[in-house]
Amino acid sequence: MTAHGEPRDADGTDEAARRAARLLRWYPAAWRDRYGEEFTELLIADIAERPRSKTRALDVARGGIVARLADAGLAGTAALPPRAATGTAPAARYRQVRASLVSLGCAAAAFLAVGAALWSQLTIGWQWSPSAAAPAAAATVITSAAMLAFLALGALAALPVLCAVVVQVTRRRRKTLIVPAAIMTAAMTVLFAGGRHFGNGWPGTGGHRGMVPGGLAAFEWATSLSVSAYWAHPGALAAFPPAELAWMAVSPVALACAVAAAATLVRRTELPPRLLAFEARLAVAACAAMAVFLAGCSCWVATGGQRSLFHAGLIDVGGVAVLALALGVAQQAARTARLGLAGR
Amino acid sequence: MPQEKPRGGRDTSDGGEPLAGFGRYAGPATLILSSLADGAKHGYALTKDVEEFAGVRLSPGTLYEALARLESQGLIEALDSDDRRRPYRLTAAGAVALRAHLDAQRRVADVGLRRLAGNWGTA
Repeated sequence: MTAHGEPRDADGTDEAARRAARLLRWYPAAWRDRYGEEFTELLIADIAERPRSKTRALDVARGGIVARLADAGLAGTAALPPRAATGTAPAARYRQVRASLVSLGCAAAAFLAVGAALWSQLTIGWQWSPSAAAPAAAATVITSAAMLAFLALGALAALPVLCAVVVQVTRRRRKTLIVPAAIMTAAMTVLFAGGRHFGNGWPGTGGHRGMVPGGLAAFEWATSLSVSAYWAHPGALAAFPPAELAWMAVSPVALACAVAAAATLVRRTELPPRLLAFEARLAVAACAAMAVFLAGCSCWVATGGQRSLFHAGLIDVGGVAVLALALGVAQQAARTARLGLAGR
Repeated sequence: MPQEKPRGGRDTSDGGEPLAGFGRYAGPATLILSSLADGAKHGYALTKDVEEFAGVRLSPGTLYEALARLESQGLIEALDSDDRRRPYRLTAAGAVALRAHLDAQRRVADVGLRRLAGNWGTA
């Protein structure tokens, strides 16, 4: 029988069920767990009534994208858990705030990876010769201040979460946190050790006076070595030492592992509402620091820098575009987190 | 022509209008809440009821976006069901929100109709 009581032919029902199942794939798993069955029934009834609707697929696709954005903490309201009681709505809201913070963390990590590459070009250029051009000099000062503020905010944000993880692993034996914590530690160790190793080997860091310590400039250069225009020039890339090439391939994988593991930790760790509110406030400040950093880079890239080490090429233009995208995602996540905490 | 004074100086924030935070979902949300004011319904019955009293067909994606929002705000709740089609019902908070929203809409409608009658007659 159809939803409105008329007989269905078996082939038509099967076909409608197949189409409904395909449409349901637009939605994230949590949403499907909560609404999947009833939504499928509605779709089957709708397909039976309006077999050739042109707007249904678009409407469902749009709804699915909105649900996915909500699931990632970037919009609206995520689905409640299956068979939710009324009292679980706040818990679902806090879960979505955590999702917002995870998305913000991922955007911040992408911003940091690309931003470090741009910043290292400016700071290492300054190691050799302070820029005579005003835009490059201003960009170096602005980006240095913004990057230091960004890193300080990152440390402030990470510390209480790491404390919560340690407490929950040691006192409450939460085994689901152990594997992501181990992966994150290993990946961070690889990044740090590799950055130190390849940074030490860079010839331009000794004996010169720069705006930031030479060791830090070399470290940021080494950790962001994979963000390079050389990928578009395989001939030049082939002349690189094998160890450096391997590092260029390994370091982004290590960064991705560290970010994925950190995201899993934040999703699985029980964080009290006060800590979430604190993190949301830091998120707003981090977005401000990112905006200042982006302004500094844009100022440098828009004028093309100058010849020599300060020259801004296509890779830097692309870098600025990635920074702008990451900042947009971070702002949206911060906004969604604040709305979630306010109960809206 | 005499000007109507604003009553009570209500602002347009969420405090005065319970469905204001729904943004572009306020329309579907109002239709759904109005339908559920009559009793619990599942998705398909909601669609048919809204189509009947408002002449608007809510597409499945739009309907469930609004349902998810209303449920997360505690304005409606899902009922247990053996059927795959889960019914929803209005909560007390949903009834208050709907009443406040419709009152606000009625005030706007009253002002608009009064001004139309004063300036345009029955045209």
